[in-house]
Amino acid sequence: MSTVLTIASGEIRLWRRTRVAVLAVSVFAIVLVVSCLLTALRISKAAEERSRQQAAAEETFLSQPERHPHRMVHYGHYAFRPPPPLAIVDPGVDAMTGQSIFLEGHRQNTAMFSDAHASADLGGLGSLTPALVYQFLLPLLLIVIGHAVMVREREARTLGPLLAQGVTGRQLYAGKSAALLGVAAVMLVPMLLMSAYGVLWGESFAASLGLFGIYVAYALVWCSAIVLVSTLGKARGVALGILASLWLTSTLVVPPLAVATADVAVPSEGKAQSDLRMQAEIRKLGDGHNAADPAFAKLRANLLALYDVEDVADLPINFRGVVAQSSEASLTELMNRYAEERMALELRQSSRAAIFGWLSPTMAVSSASRAVAGTDLGTHHRFMRETEALRFDFVQGLNRVHAQQLAYSDDIHRSRDPDAERRTRVSAENWQVLESFRFEPDPAGPRWRRASASVLPLLAWLGVFTVLGFASSGRVKP
Amino acid sequence: MKGVARELAFLLRDRGVLLFLVVALAASSVAVLLGVVEVAQQRATIAELLAADRAERQVVQAGQTDWGGAAYYTFHLTVDEPTNFAFAALGQRDVSPWKHRIRLLALEGQIYESDAGNPDFALIGRFDYAFVVSLLAPLLLILLLHDVRSSERAAGRYEWLSATSGRERSPWRMRSGLKVALLTGCLLFPLWIGGLASNSGAGVLASASLLTALHLLFWWGVCSLVDRCGWTSSVNLVAACGVWLLLAVIAPAAIQAAVDASIPLPDGGDIVLTQREAVNDAWDLPKEATMEPFVARHPEWEDHMEVTRPFEWKWYYAFQQVGDQKAEEISLAYRDGRQRRESLAGKLSWLSPPAWMERSLQRAARTDGRSALDYEDRVRQYHAELRAWYYPKLFPGLPFDQDRLAGVPEYSD
Repeated sequence: MSTVLTIASGEIRLWRRTRVAVLAVSVFAIVLVVSCLLTALRISKAAEERSRQQAAAEETFLSQPERHPHRMVHYGHYAFRPPPPLAIVDPGVDAMTGQSIFLEGHRQNTAMFSDAHASADLGGLGSLTPALVYQFLLPLLLIVIGHAVMVREREARTLGPLLAQGVTGRQLYAGKSAALLGVAAVMLVPMLLMSAYGVLWGESFAASLGLFGIYVAYALVWCSAIVLVSTLGKARGVALGILASLWLTSTLVVPPLAVATADVAVPSEGKAQSDLRMQAEIRKLGDGHNAADPAFAKLRANLLALYDVEDVADLPINFRGVVAQSSEASLTELMNRYAEERMALELRQSSRAAIFGWLSPTMAVSSASRAVAGTDLGTHHRFMRETEALRFDFVQGLNRVHAQQLAYSDDIHRSRDPDAERRTRVSAENWQVLESFRFEPDPAGPRWRRASASVLPLLAWLGVFTVLGFASSGRVKP
Repeated sequence: MKGVARELAFLLRDRGVLLFLVVALAASSVAVLLGVVEVAQQRATIAELLAADRAERQVVQAGQTDWGGAAYYTFHLTVDEPTNFAFAALGQRDVSPWKHRIRLLALEGQIYESDAGNPDFALIGRFDYAFVVSLLAPLLLILLLHDVRSSERAAGRYEWLSATSGRERSPWRMRSGLKVALLTGCLLFPLWIGGLASNSGAGVLASASLLTALHLLFWWGVCSLVDRCGWTSSVNLVAACGVWLLLAVIAPAAIQAAVDASIPLPDGGDIVLTQREAVNDAWDLPKEATMEPFVARHPEWEDHMEVTRPFEWKWYYAFQQVGDQKAEEISLAYRDGRQRRESLAGKLSWLSPPAWMERSLQRAARTDGRSALDYEDRVRQYHAELRAWYYPKLFPGLPFDQDRLAGVPEYSD
């Protein structure tokens, strides 16, 4: 054991002497700390801002004066998605999707005002978030520092004497790995702090620990790859070349290639397309604004029979409100079917792309990180579903008021008769049908389940590299 | 000339050099191919949408009985067709919408709807030619050039080679020059094939080629500066990669953060909230409250402003427009802010040659932020045309004529 420690501390002493290693570590540390601070500031400001906007939107809705309930259906409501605490590490797709959505009757809108749309675009890899720094720069740093751990002994012809002194290849491997892991551990400290901050901010302990664990696994994958290549390599240049190519492939080539192939393999359908495809079916449902639409003939007949009256004017309830209710229900059912189809398609695309995690640890860690941080596509979809449920509930609540509190005769004459119009306004108390909405992150369990498909390749890479490294270190020769 | 041929023969016998050139050729080919496929898919989507939209509009219009209802129920498709060079730089098209259906209601509530693709994909980014040439190509060049001198030094041939050549620098310069030229060729060849297949036009291809060459020349400069320091190959590689990291990753992100921070935007949500308040309040306000600000903007309808019944279409559309008018100031500030961010980013992009490269290609392909703003402006323009077409029917109360509905303005890109 003490041999291993001696080797490790010798390696670290060497790194402290070389300028390249010190410079690389300092640059990495600066970039990391700056990105952590900037992202944390930005995210906590956004979280505050959106919670405030959500509360303001609810207050405005509830404080509307008395009016016709259908006016309120079109007045609509806003839902906002505040970023989850762990977005300070990985803001994920939040910047791409937009965080507010307008909810109104008979329509499912898309989320609006994405940051990516409004912000300056300079190409590159996008904005520097802690997640990006860890995914892209940490392996590069480890490669710069560690590519020569074993190969240097060989080049300097010190490997022979070392082995002759009775140090085994395994001990060398363990010692060098321990030294590199030490560097990685120091670099992971900010991640640990960010995760801890997440817990303080209300994030579940399991998710925060999980996020930290994912990045630990990622760092381990690279450490094991580096020591393996360094053990097998005959010259420092070759080892560096191989590792640089691995990094290049894993971070820069595979992820966008995965996106492109997934997009070709599973063509997506935008909202405009599915909306248009849906139109023919919508027409069959009838227009809820028009109670005379033949589509509602059956509803009318049923109601007349139920209450045993001749004309809708004699019904104890407002037929127009009933039509609005029934048409909103069937329309929503239809729109949800198409929305679910679209979301399933997107998920299929993303999971197709995620298969490339088996080729690129970076691809794997990035999708696992988004899933655990609660900023992935799945969470966005849940936001869309929950806001849709919110929309449906308040619209139907208003339609119920429309059916129960408004006289049919006033309702049909309100466009021509100002007095009738006045009688179709209902008290503002009815606006209480609006449920208050706070978008909460998933519990840790479902997030883990979504991440598992991407964590698996990471663990597999780690296992393979470690086993290979361990095996080859047993046979190491000068 | 004989020297060139000899060096070329040397290079092509070097497995490492060949490998990187093949990688460059493959990356560029794949990028161009994927770009062409993506553009074809977008075109197909647009064609499909146009057909569906036309069919849908005919059905909707056939059921109409008054101008107001026709305007309310008819959606109009607007699209931003990809250019013939878009395959090389897909740019903002993953983030900003390029298809949009609008109707005559208040525009501010409609125009920010985003019908973009899979957000996961937008986050990761596209493997297009712009990506290959701005981010990957410098790395390949670094891999090719980092040891031009240092490898000879390590092999103990450096002094000998310097002494026997005519001029002191020429063997290194010729050798690196050849590598740069070969790499440029490997990158450009697929681009030209793609350009010819997509009918991009000679001008845009020539300027893209020039940009590519300039970008690689810059990185050649970086590599030779590093190589001249007399370090070992590994240190050279690390140092050059460090420069790449700084210029290609850290600088763009820093510029973006600085630009966004220095030009704050009004909150987008406030635009739509303002517009919604204005539109919905109008139902409860006296009709004059709507008609007066409307006439201020449209004096030509002054004689048709009388609204007698609780609901009239012309009043309805007037308050829709007044909703836009109320949100106009903040909406203009939002648009102006994005424009200023875009132009400031353009100015600062000189600090990062890869960012400058990528932006220039996106500009040439009309897929940059400015083009996205242009599309938004065209949608606004078209919406104004729709208003100009419907208003002379709504305000004087022209009798409805089904046949004239066919004359509603079409969006043209």
